[in-house]
Amino acid sequence: MENPLDLLRLALNERVVVKMRGERELAGKLHAFDQHLNLVLSDVEETITVNEVDQEPTTTTRKLDMLFVRGDGVILCSPPLRV
Amino acid sequence: MTPSEFLATVLGRPVEVKLDTGVVYKGVLASLDGFMNLVLEQTEEFVNGKKTRAYGDAFLRGNNVTYISLQKGAAA
Repeated sequence: MENPLDLLRLALNERVVVKMRGERELAGKLHAFDQHLNLVLSDVEETITVNEVDQEPTTTTRKLDMLFVRGDGVILCSPPLRV
Repeated sequence: MTPSEFLATVLGRPVEVKLDTGVVYKGVLASLDGFMNLVLEQTEEFVNGKKTRAYGDAFLRGNNVTYISLQKGAAA
């Protein structure tokens, strides 16, 4: 693997987990990406974690059919484990 | 040793990467580019010193990186 973006190239058309800024996490099938980490995902489940003081963290999830993600919010992107 | 020389020596070795959020990732540095985008293998995620998650391969976007250091016990 010469270039870090090669990992995403290998993950095209596979389900990936994406950690975003603002305690958000996405899981969906990766259709496309570019050098900014703009992503196109399908069948996405978004999980939002809210940490309020003196309260247990709460998570809410929602499902989206098709999603464009602006790259500057991306922290981490992980493809499924290869067997 | 220049910064880029350092990064060339840690490639393929176990590293600890701290992000500006304070989250730490430990894993083997598989790949790196000029934006400091990087790929870790056998990645473990630590929040407040506690292991929270593991990933097989993980791509990290370079703008979130605060530091990259060689893991303790892995001599360069």
